[in-house]
Amino acid sequence: MRAIESVALPVRRLEWQLAQVREIVVETIRVKSLRLHVTGWQGHRPGQHVDIRLTAEGGCQAQRSYSIASAPEDELLALTVERVNNGEVSPYLVDELRAGDQFELRGPIGGYFVWTADMSGPLCLIAGGAGVAPLMAMLRHRDGQSSRPLTLLLYSSRSLDDVIYREELDAMARCDPKLGIVYALTRKQPEGWTGQRGRIDKALLARVCFPPEQNPKIFVCGPTTFVEYVATLLVEFGNDPLSIKTERFGPTGG
Amino acid sequence: MAENGSQHVLDGNAAAGLLQEIFDGEITSALIQCDACDSTEAVGSLRLYASTMGAVLRCNHCDSVLMRAVRTPHGHWIEMKGARCLKL
Repeated sequence: MRAIESVALPVRRLEWQLAQVREIVVETIRVKSLRLHVTGWQGHRPGQHVDIRLTAEGGCQAQRSYSIASAPEDELLALTVERVNNGEVSPYLVDELRAGDQFELRGPIGGYFVWTADMSGPLCLIAGGAGVAPLMAMLRHRDGQSSRPLTLLLYSSRSLDDVIYREELDAMARCDPKLGIVYALTRKQPEGWTGQRGRIDKALLARVCFPPEQNPKIFVCGPTTFVEYVATLLVEFGNDPLSIKTERFGPTGG
Repeated sequence: MAENGSQHVLDGNAAAGLLQEIFDGEITSALIQCDACDSTEAVGSLRLYASTMGAVLRCNHCDSVLMRAVRTPHGHWIEMKGARCLKL
């Protein structure tokens, strides 16, 4: 465990560093987490991401950005990667990479989509699919604090089996009365499912999100259409647009 | 997950690595004002159209181009004709 400073970390010139895979965690059928050791890692704030760069024989390079899923206090840096079929990079990361392998990485990057425990107000986290990764860094960071803000995670997933970090999330919520987790299952629901069936919609958001008067800090991460839909509704409800931090991602070259 | 790399709408966070190379510092939480519609937003919230060459950042409200950044073997280029100001 490392101590985290609550002040903003100074931004160092971005340089490529070598990351070594220490452990690979199977999260779902499509998703794995890579737990990495990066020599001289300067630390990060929850919500930040890294760029990774792979170089093929012959020198051809591919670069992608991945959110950091681990807390700053964690020993290893965790990236959660979803396999994008026909992608250039993610199938390699998910299917080929083994413990001991190395690749290039630079970061941490970004200061906008960031939450640290010293920020006031309840915390509202809304995730679509693999967009839960940077929110997980926030939840893991929050979990290590002695005083925790009232927090909601609203997480949309295809099915219960597609929920990334499910055991860890449920365990966190079980022993923390200040943390509420709401799953929306869009395609398949288990028998007897009493939660949300289908996508996150206006009625669900209105029911579970903190009212604007409580000045929640809101973080929304997921596919572009998901993020824009959710953010638009939250503004409609009366939340200050600047209190809503968004991170969009698309199924790209993968 | 700021997966960048091809022609897709992402957000300014995904361009953060490139912008950090240019500004030599964190830029996604800086505020940028659109010259066309006056709205002010954080750079990280802008719509990003990314390609391997570089990035185009557009206003969330009126879709004007606020920032274009490219990386070339001879250095970086940034054009910000559509932005009235940038508050760091």
